[in-house]
Amino acid sequence: MTDLPTYVLERVFDAPRELVWRTWTEAELLARWYGPGVETVIHKLDVRAGGQWLNEMKWGEGGGQRERMDYIEVVKPERLVWYHSMCDADWNIAANPMMADWPKVLLTVVTMEAVGSMTKLTLTWTPHEASEVEIACFAGAMAGLNKGWGSGMDVLEGILAELQS
Amino acid sequence: MEQISATQPPPNLDALFAALADPTRRAILSRLAGGQASVADLCVPFEMSQPAVSKHLKVLERAGLVTRDVDAQRRPARLNAAPMQDAVAWLEAFEKFWSGSFDQLDTLLEELKTEAKGAGND
Repeated sequence: MTDLPTYVLERVFDAPRELVWRTWTEAELLARWYGPGVETVIHKLDVRAGGQWLNEMKWGEGGGQRERMDYIEVVKPERLVWYHSMCDADWNIAANPMMADWPKVLLTVVTMEAVGSMTKLTLTWTPHEASEVEIACFAGAMAGLNKGWGSGMDVLEGILAELQS
Repeated sequence: MEQISATQPPPNLDALFAALADPTRRAILSRLAGGQASVADLCVPFEMSQPAVSKHLKVLERAGLVTRDVDAQRRPARLNAAPMQDAVAWLEAFEKFWSGSFDQLDTLLEELKTEAKGAGND
């Protein structure tokens, strides 16, 4: 299947590629930025094909989520590919507790391209070996994010604001 | 999982997004945000037949966005916004995950560059 729904995020960082690469491959640095507004604990980081990144995010009182990244391809300093999965406490792949239909495994591809003294980073997320329901769920979410609903999100937000007022 | 405080089962996002993907159904939801309405009430502004409106309501009902009174004769439809709120919250969290992380990465890279410069000057 080539027409899988894909999430794409591009960002240009004002830093040389070697430095950007270090922030993705050194546990001490990775823990400092990964996961917005949460405490990130890296239980294991072995960046090579077949290696693993075991990650725990903590928030609030006792809240949290464990994730497991299984590296497939590591090409320093330009490309990282891994399977990204939600996990239970024992690092077994598990369904997302908040969204039952969310794909259990997402193929993640990160590419870093040197642009002068800056680095253009592209991250993509694609469902991996997902069921039809999971793919449809992910496609729906992507359509919402890319404004594929036209004014859909605005309508939703308007309705929600109205209900809360 | 026990760590999640939500008492409701996870919403069926697939049905929810499918329901929301249609402009007529979103318009029906907007109309219902203003108050409950029967099928006959909804036919007028949307210039649609009763069976067509009923069909849309069924899709919305299946997604948990609309509830209908079983006993009343007119079976008025009512908006149930909870699953919608969940979907919007989920999308916002999803969107923020990488973009928010990248903001933090931006800050970290600035710090690292400053540190490197400082070390070089010593």
